[in-house]
Amino acid sequence: MFTTGSKLFLGGTVLSLAATLVYGATEGGGPLGTIGLISVTLVFAFLTGINFWVRDSNVSSMDTAGIESSPAAHLAPGRSMWPMVAGAGAALLPVGLIVGFAITWLAVIVLMIAMVEWMVQAWSEGASSDPVYNLGIRRRILHPMELPVLGAVGLGLIIFSFSRIMLHVPAAAGAIIFGGIATGVVLFGSLIATKRTVARSLVVALCTVGAVGVVGAGVASAVAGGRHVAKHEIPSYAEGTCGADTSGEADDKSSRAIAAKSNLAATIILQNGKLRAEVIGVAGNPDAVTLPRSTDSFIRFKNLDNGKFRLVVNLGKEVVDPKAATLTYREVKECTQAVEEGGDQFIIIKPAAPSPRDPSAPDQYSFTVPGVDSAVLGIVVP
Amino acid sequence: MTVPSNGGSRFVSRARRLALPGAAIAALTFLSSCAKDAPQDTFQPKGDNARNIDKLQRTPFYIAGAVFVVVFAVVMFCVFKFRDRGQKIPKQTHGKPALEIALTIVPALILVGIGIPTVKTLFMLAKTSDTQCVINVTGQQWWWEYDYPVQEGCGGITEPIVTSGEIVFPAKMNVLLKITSRDVIHSFWIPALNGKRDAVPGRVQTLRMEADHPGIYAGQCTEFCGLSHAYMRMDAVALDAAGFETWKTNQLAAYESPADGTAAKTGESTFLTQCSRCHQVNGLVNANGDPVISRPDQYVYSGAAPNLTNLMTRYDFAGASFDLITDDCRDKLWSAQPADFSALYLQGVTPECFDPVNLREWLRNAPGKKPMYADPAKLGPTDGKTRGMPNLNLTEDQIDQIISYLTERK
Ligand code: HEC
Ligand SMILES: [Cu+2]
Repeated sequence: MFTTGSKLFLGGTVLSLAATLVYGATEGGGPLGTIGLISVTLVFAFLTGINFWVRDSNVSSMDTAGIESSPAAHLAPGRSMWPMVAGAGAALLPVGLIVGFAITWLAVIVLMIAMVEWMVQAWSEGASSDPVYNLGIRRRILHPMELPVLGAVGLGLIIFSFSRIMLHVPAAAGAIIFGGIATGVVLFGSLIATKRTVARSLVVALCTVGAVGVVGAGVASAVAGGRHVAKHEIPSYAEGTCGADTSGEADDKSSRAIAAKSNLAATIILQNGKLRAEVIGVAGNPDAVTLPRSTDSFIRFKNLDNGKFRLVVNLGKEVVDPKAATLTYREVKECTQAVEEGGDQFIIIKPAAPSPRDPSAPDQYSFTVPGVDSAVLGIVVP
Repeated sequence: MTVPSNGGSRFVSRARRLALPGAAIAALTFLSSCAKDAPQDTFQPKGDNARNIDKLQRTPFYIAGAVFVVVFAVVMFCVFKFRDRGQKIPKQTHGKPALEIALTIVPALILVGIGIPTVKTLFMLAKTSDTQCVINVTGQQWWWEYDYPVQEGCGGITEPIVTSGEIVFPAKMNVLLKITSRDVIHSFWIPALNGKRDAVPGRVQTLRMEADHPGIYAGQCTEFCGLSHAYMRMDAVALDAAGFETWKTNQLAAYESPADGTAAKTGESTFLTQCSRCHQVNGLVNANGDPVISRPDQYVYSGAAPNLTNLMTRYDFAGASFDLITDDCRDKLWSAQPADFSALYLQGVTPECFDPVNLREWLRNAPGKKPMYADPAKLGPTDGKTRGMPNLNLTEDQIDQIISYLTERK
């Protein structure tokens, strides 16, 4: 009487109708939820009707003989683990809603996988009356999805376990273990490649032992926690001070922080208490560096003097609040962190306003080094 | 197998029908390469750097041309000679080591032959040690700014000069451009003088310029940079040494405010209220007598607007896309002989040559003349700043006054 498909949708209709009633009665949510649930109920009812009418599309509803002999008319054979998985997912879902978001996501993923697998399996079992053929088409459809996902999950597990192991063992031991395992894999690989006679079961056994070993050790290491890794602290420096006090700062290996080493607007060098500039395309050391306005100019500061020094870029003064009754000004100043002898620092400057045209005007633009009065170099912004 | 005779004749008649248009297209393509008015022709170098490139490309061009002709001839020969007339398939051979080795070695030798002079030319084009003049070139949507840093080069520059659209430099001098960008990547290219160089934000790249003779050389941005990329043009202007000195002096001359009571004077005050927040005019002072410093960084996305101090010493504007002079005067300037060019160029936009139409349209509605995201409704993505010059809704009177004011900026 009822085909398998219409039974499924009938169940859906009843369930969603019940949900609508419960939801609506308890006024748990706004009208949107109720409308949504009513729509779901209607859709299920509609699908039930269609499936019933077309007999799951398997045979013409007029073909009474076909109805009797169609695969859908027979009870689909086979066992399936997917109802169980789907049940687990459905159970996890409310747990997730209470415990945490991550579990909700897990539940949703499990549910979705179970749904897809279950549906394809159910459909393929009714595809023909030949179970071997049916299994074949299930594989053809699902393997392209299952195999990569399973492969990725397996690999991910191995990699994750491996990383936990590496983070757990001392740094030096890590290298040795790495080398050892890599050698083992190569030897094992060449063994299989050259000795074709190696028993298949031996290979499988070795692989299993290896995988279980890595994952087991990984889980153990993850539980035990990683080794202590010393952090490379970069002391923060109070922004805007740009003073001569360099204590408590300075990035010793600062030149490592400089990626851009070519096509800079200028390299400013502190040597023997003096600043000089190297500018791309300009021979010698110009008396002043001309930098275009409103343009990011990449500047590299190199300290060749003994001590910790920083480069300060003085870009005149700007009005604090143009709408204020009496205008107040503040210095426009930027600076690098202090850097040890031989080190580099990098700074990007973008002068907004031109430098004073009159060379005797106050607030000239310049590079300076706090604590080294003789180190001054002019900046011209046209 | 025999070809049905009617099919064959249909083929022939179709070929005949296509022959004429085909030949016409080929002839046109060929003839267009001889066009006289082709200022961006890479085959007509007008300076050392472009000539080096041209020398390098010509040999491979001819070799490649010969290879093309030979291969094409052989293919055609085979197609006709061995076409399917129902004959038996000839005996097939496979592999001929001597031929294969020859066909590997000969192209390798050709490549080495091209490679050596290429590397040599690359080094020549990258050289900066013989620089005699440095000019900073900054690209932004959709115009180029040129600033001349203080230097001993270029015959000595004591105060920075800022200009746009037309890059002016002395002929016969090794000029080094230092190219960067304020917003997106652009590319600077004057085909008659050198290859192209990208303008990349945060990076300074160099490009040599040298012109044999005084003259004006056209170019355009060659890296797609947004809506008005096509309107991002530039002219390179080479002057003779004396002419360049005059040009520099003129660029740095003291500001002259228009005479009181003139339309230009009214234009100056309109300029102060409407324009000077974006456009710098050196020497311009406000009502209190304080110098007016433009702050395009607060209004324009790229942070810059052209310096208008000497607008009328240039012949075009807005990315060298619109003329300030009549077509006649333009033709005269572009076809001037090298000996006469500098003097003619230094006249600037004279009253006889001035054609205000383009400028008027620009001031009426700049984004209408040159598409720019300057529509206030669409400024959200650019922090409320315009890309390009906005429509300022000026009245016709204001436009007249501003034009009188601008015509004095020489
Ligand atoms: C919001 C800023 C802004 C204001 C205000 C403004 N402009 Fe512009 N103007 C620009 C920008 C940006 C350009 C470059 C546009 C381009 O070429 O794509 C430009 C270009 C020009 C040019 C072409 C210059 C050249 O050398 O290429 C002229 C002339 C000009 N403006 C005149 C004026 C005048 C006159 C006013 C006042 C009525 C004015 N502008 C107001 C931003 C502004
Ligand atoms: Cu561009």
